[in-house]
Amino acid sequence: MSDQTTLEQKAHSNGYLAGSNLERVLRAGHFAVTAELGPPQSADAQVIRQKAALLRGYCDAVNITDNQTAIVRMSSIGAAAIALQEGLEPVMQMTCRDRNRLAMQSDLLGAYALGLRNVLCLTGDHQSFGNHPQAKNVFDMDSIQLIHMVAAMRDEHVFECGDPLKGAEPRFFIGAAAAPFAGPVEFRPYRLGKKVKAGANFIQTQLVYDVEAFSKFMEKVRALGLHEQTFILAGVGPLKSPTMARYMQQQVPGILVPDALIERMEAAGAPWAGKKKEELTKEDKKARTVAWQQEGIQICIELIQQLRQIKGVSGVHIMAIEWEEAVKPIVEGAGLYPRPQVN
Amino acid sequence: MIVAEQKPLQEIKALISNAQNVLVVGCGTCVTVCFAGGEREAAILAASLRMSTRLDGKPQEIRHETVQRQCEWEYLDQIAELVQQADIVLSLGCGIGVQAIAEHFPQKWVVPGLNTTFLGLPSEQGVWVERCAACGDCILGLTGGICPIARCSKSLLNGPCGGSEDGHCEISPDTPCAWQLIYDRLLSMDKLHLLMEIQPPKNWRTSRDGGPRKIVREDLRLPTKEE
Amino acid sequence: MDQQVTRNREANQVWQQQIVCYACEHCAYAAADLAGTLRMQYPPSIKIVQLPCSGKLDVLMVLHAFEQGADGVMVAG
Repeated sequence: MSDQTTLEQKAHSNGYLAGSNLERVLRAGHFAVTAELGPPQSADAQVIRQKAALLRGYCDAVNITDNQTAIVRMSSIGAAAIALQEGLEPVMQMTCRDRNRLAMQSDLLGAYALGLRNVLCLTGDHQSFGNHPQAKNVFDMDSIQLIHMVAAMRDEHVFECGDPLKGAEPRFFIGAAAAPFAGPVEFRPYRLGKKVKAGANFIQTQLVYDVEAFSKFMEKVRALGLHEQTFILAGVGPLKSPTMARYMQQQVPGILVPDALIERMEAAGAPWAGKKKEELTKEDKKARTVAWQQEGIQICIELIQQLRQIKGVSGVHIMAIEWEEAVKPIVEGAGLYPRPQVN
Repeated sequence: MIVAEQKPLQEIKALISNAQNVLVVGCGTCVTVCFAGGEREAAILAASLRMSTRLDGKPQEIRHETVQRQCEWEYLDQIAELVQQADIVLSLGCGIGVQAIAEHFPQKWVVPGLNTTFLGLPSEQGVWVERCAACGDCILGLTGGICPIARCSKSLLNGPCGGSEDGHCEISPDTPCAWQLIYDRLLSMDKLHLLMEIQPPKNWRTSRDGGPRKIVREDLRLPTKEE
Repeated sequence: MDQQVTRNREANQVWQQQIVCYACEHCAYAAADLAGTLRMQYPPSIKIVQLPCSGKLDVLMVLHAFEQGADGVMVAG
């Protein structure tokens, strides 16, 4: 898909590519909100239901991660199906690490049959990060090839090998990730362009804390006209503590955390600063955690408000990792509640 | 070259523990230049095994010999007699050498003394790095002579992924990001347009995924007797 | 009993370490030669092996020395 005309040509009889809630919200011109739900390291469906209850009504769709950081968790399809039962609209994440093209296509068919309508196509973290570093990785395809395959199944009614599908095609609203600050930074807008060319209908970016750097990236994206061919959702996430902020700044590839934000987080914990661990009572620690979290949420709200001003940003993707409770105050605080109903 | 490294002595001792006469066979080609299984290493290993088994109170007869290439029949013919005299052959060749000996001397038990590691080159003295995955369908012409199959941790054809930072791969600060290297090289050669094309999914049939591989060159084959 | 063993050992002969000395012909070996001309004594259990240079020493030579029963190897150069 290269422009809006072809997008309309490829649309289903209902006028949508997939007709997912996320697609309808974005196509109606609303500022979209997506969140993230990490499946448990168990077969406990209740965990999904509890997390779903925290997110319901506060976002247009929820990403269900796929063995995030290469740690075995409930499958994204299984967890997404439960989330769907709970009244959420899932974005099923799919990585290239664990499956070859046969498995990916059969999973796409199964996922669609279960009622899933959004897919986020990812390369996937290397397995050396996770709890099975001895595993053989697959990487039969990369994320760009996966996007193209999902688009071809939907738009051309063919499998990757070129054989036609025998019956209904899976009609997914196709997402992809963008890492604006990973290396080489100059190439990142072009790589996004390749994803759009391959068929990405929406983009969710890596966490943005440095709005200025992101603005520069978006300038280039606009110059390439990509914002008119895909919906770009900027990734945001509440900081939990100064330690977490510093860890992200120093250890996580592709994330820029300005010093000013770390200082703000430190300032939030100032009343308890300079004291040793033993000197702090349980109540002190609890109060400090709350202060940090409030500041983290406040920063996140401000980031959303700034990102919203950038031309070409169609929404935000809130990644509150194992902190789903934070989504509600963030969405409310950013004035994005209630979520629009588009039929 | 094929790069290999020697197995730990204890593992080697366990592999030959049931034999009285052991023949250590070195190889004069790749494993010689990577200092893993040449004449010198064969002699050192033989001496180490002789001493070690003697200290254990169960001395074994350990002889050693090195051939030019373990992976060609004519070189193996030269050690036929020594092989027959031994109870076990400890090959210091790559995995190909071990299998060639097993195939050429079907009555003889052969064990490996090396772990065959990769196809690569010495980047500096004492350091070897992987360069080729022998995928059977070379794309180096698209990537400026830097192989993403062998050198990108995820073998991406449309890299770099989001894990590339400061020129290194997400798996380790010691691992250069192959796609950063490709980007830098194409940029310096004014060929960045090559990166703008989407590379389709790779046909892995030419790689190991299509099953064991074989090349037949009719122009080089010897005529059969009937001809 | 320990005393007996010691006595027996002393009665037979004093145990001496067998040392193999790899010596560079330009310095250490020449020094050993000079020591010989000066009639300086050193134990006969030290065997000197002349090398064109101590840099010629190889792991294999050290291993051979030990394999042949040496208790210690000395490199002089």
